Amino acid sequence: MHFLAPLAFAFAAAIPVVIAFYLLKRKRVVKLVSSTLLWQKFLAETQASAPFQKLRKNWLLILQILLLTLIVFALARPYFATKAMPAQLRVVILDASASMQATDETPSRFEKARTEALKWVDSLAGNDQMVILQAGANTEVKQSASTQKAALRRALQACVCSDGPTRLVPALKMAESLVRDLDPKTNPEIHLFSDGAVPELNEFENKALPLVFHRVGKDANNLGITALDVRSNPEDGRQRAVYASVANFSTNSQQTDLELLLDDRLLETRPITIHAGETSPQVFLAAQPRDGVFTVHLTVKDDLSVDNQASIVSLLPKPVKVLLVSQGNRLLERALRAAPNVELAATTDLTDPAAGFDFVVLDDVTPTVWPKGNVLAIHVVNTNWFQGATRVEAPAIVDWKSAHPLLRYAGFDNVQVMQSLTARTPTWAATLVEAPQAPLIFAGELGRQRIIWIGFDTLESNWPLRVSYPIFIANAVDWLNPANSRSGQLLVKSGDPFRLALTEPTTSAQVTLPGGTAKPLTLDPNASELVFGDTLKQGTYRLRLGTNETVFCVNLLDMAESNIKPHEAMQLGKYTKVTATTRQRANMELWRTIATLGLLVLLVEWWYYHRRTV
Amino acid sequence: MPDALLTPELLRRLEQFQLLATRRAKSSSKGERRSRARGQSVEFADYRTYVHGDDFRYLDWNLYGRLERLFLKLYEEERELPVRIFLDASQSMTFGEPPKFHFARQVAAAIGYVALSGFDRVSVIPFPDVANGLETDQATRTMEMAARGALRSVRGKKSAIQFFRNLGSLTASGAANLNEALRRGALEARQAGVAVVLSDFLDPAGYESGLTALVGRGFQVDLVQILAPDEVSPTTFGDLRLIDSETGGQQEVTFGRYRMKAYQRTVQNFLQRLREFCKSRGINFFSTSSNTDLQELLLKQLRQAEVWG
Repeated sequence: MHFLAPLAFAFAAAIPVVIAFYLLKRKRVVKLVSSTLLWQKFLAETQASAPFQKLRKNWLLILQILLLTLIVFALARPYFATKAMPAQLRVVILDASASMQATDETPSRFEKARTEALKWVDSLAGNDQMVILQAGANTEVKQSASTQKAALRRALQACVCSDGPTRLVPALKMAESLVRDLDPKTNPEIHLFSDGAVPELNEFENKALPLVFHRVGKDANNLGITALDVRSNPEDGRQRAVYASVANFSTNSQQTDLELLLDDRLLETRPITIHAGETSPQVFLAAQPRDGVFTVHLTVKDDLSVDNQASIVSLLPKPVKVLLVSQGNRLLERALRAAPNVELAATTDLTDPAAGFDFVVLDDVTPTVWPKGNVLAIHVVNTNWFQGATRVEAPAIVDWKSAHPLLRYAGFDNVQVMQSLTARTPTWAATLVEAPQAPLIFAGELGRQRIIWIGFDTLESNWPLRVSYPIFIANAVDWLNPANSRSGQLLVKSGDPFRLALTEPTTSAQVTLPGGTAKPLTLDPNASELVFGDTLKQGTYRLRLGTNETVFCVNLLDMAESNIKPHEAMQLGKYTKVTATTRQRANMELWRTIATLGLLVLLVEWWYYHRRTV
Repeated sequence: MPDALLTPELLRRLEQFQLLATRRAKSSSKGERRSRARGQSVEFADYRTYVHGDDFRYLDWNLYGRLERLFLKLYEEERELPVRIFLDASQSMTFGEPPKFHFARQVAAAIGYVALSGFDRVSVIPFPDVANGLETDQATRTMEMAARGALRSVRGKKSAIQFFRNLGSLTASGAANLNEALRRGALEARQAGVAVVLSDFLDPAGYESGLTALVGRGFQVDLVQILAPDEVSPTTFGDLRLIDSETGGQQEVTFGRYRMKAYQRTVQNFLQRLREFCKSRGINFFSTSSNTDLQELLLKQLRQAEVWG
């Protein structure tokens, strides 16, 4: 026989204490009686007063010691080493996303889920194993497979709810990989403790995931900011326009005030009313004297407070320096000049990396030296970008991605191309315009360089005559402007890493978190990019890099998270769904109950013994 | 102190009673009880032939007329009935509320008064002796001795007040030896009569030999056991160190309410043993508590048991 908790034998020290209690002489009340004749029968039991004579044949004491021994024995958790049954594996996924901060459960959904998960830890049978995964913006393995309940409890206690969205797919994938190859007899299970506010899980449709969904959450009383952007006011270049979307996910119409702050200074308060289930777009116009942070704040008290505020860094627009390398293309030049705030320079060849320009337009000219910055390449081939360019005659444009920012308001109806270079779309790029044979335009980011590649010479097409051409060029100027892409980088979703290109080697940096905590960073001198991943809390972060300070904002801005309505079922694809379980914990170990019962009996027996004297 | 012991009302009612003796009086003194002795009374007993020297006044002349022989008429001699009251005056009798000893004195007073009213001789024998146990000053002891002496033999209703006074001045103390007291009482009695024993009978040495000696001496024994209410149903619980009032012996006991029944069973067993002992020897047995209504005991229980009538 072995013992799981041999340290519990230390409780055996209580046995001498019990004996000592019996040896203690009880304080007696002196009473004068007429005669002790009638008391003879009662005297006999307690007559012996010599210390060890007392203990002789004291059944009460023997019973107590026996009971105590059994309790100590139970606490030591004895076991026989026998051929073990296959252990069951339970993978617990604890949703640590922002929606779990909702306070419709007391004290919060996350705490409720944690309590439920702890109950399941308690119910773990002897050799069953459990894995604890925390699914927030990133999936963290809080505890690998273990039978140790103390470790599992510690792991659950260490879980922290983030301000980020749920990324359940990686967590489920990890859980699936853990249970996939197990013997089905062992009946592995994945227990998801969540409110069900998760995006699509289509890829698990046919996986027959042994998923048990434990739903938390009751109400859906929430207003949230789901989108935020800042741009120049198209009608007045001196002003900035702040766009915000406020969604009402509750079942009633809600009234609240929406505040706009610039660097914590209140600029405007606007009362808004949003009907149930509707989204209200709001535009603020504000003068901005210098770079700053706009904050939009909802004053309403709802169940989820994390989405009631969002911030965005607003940098004042600077002129875009563009170098056009062309043998002469007036239409392109005019289109470039028509884009706002552009300083255009033109040349016929490029012999240096064009470091002084924001981006370079290569119009049917293969440069001597390829630029290092962003490029709009028209009818040129760079083998570093893709291999195997071929020529096609009169390709018909069959599809274009109007959702891409480059093709915003730019359709390719009635555009004909005489001939075009074409190549298989490289992995770093996305196809924008397609002919049946191959893509004609694609765009993407190769390293830190943004590239738009147009396979055909625009002058060998009627595109420049279409309205979509200047729009596309304006969009391209916007997209290729490093300042714009940088300001895009300054708005990070909770849990996503913040990236910053390093222009010179640096070894240390410091990030000040929203709470004011300074976090020093050590950098590799050879690194060309700084990646900061600790963005679980929303707010304004300040990165100090030498003498420069970069401000970036972390926000939730997630429709799925803000919609905190608890889901009865989780949809896995079109036809599969997992209904919230009502199953309670099972396989409760009995030793605790038995030991408690023993202790209780001991107490009752002691109480009864003393009751006789009152 | 008749007032302290019995009320005038009770005394008046007691006057109606007379002690009922199942045996003939054997006293040598005249009294109002029928005896086996022949003497002068109005109650004809027998005839005997005349012998020289007999008093002519008792000759039956009618019989002489018919038979011409001289016969002398014999009459029953009426003698007194000696009533001995054994009064337990040990320390244990001082317990109870009201004290058992006070109750015992009241019963003794009542029995004594009935006896005195019936021209019987009353002896109150308190035990233990004063010398044995009294721990008071000399004057009190002398008074106690005097009272006890006066109570040794009382006769006549006129002595009743003094009888009560002496009874009232008795005190209880010391350790009783019931057997010894009764045996000595039986030996000391010149004539048997009625013996009334008033005690709690809580004597570790027992009561059997003493009562047997009384019965053996020819006494008609009436036994009144007086217990305190607290002895029947104790009201003190917990871990106790009990001190015996008479022996001074200490005993430790753990007593709780749940053991009350067991205790009462012990008391009942004790009473049952005593009752059976009495029944087997023709002794009238009464068990009473010191808080019992005295009239109830005297006017009902003792009358029903034909102690008096």
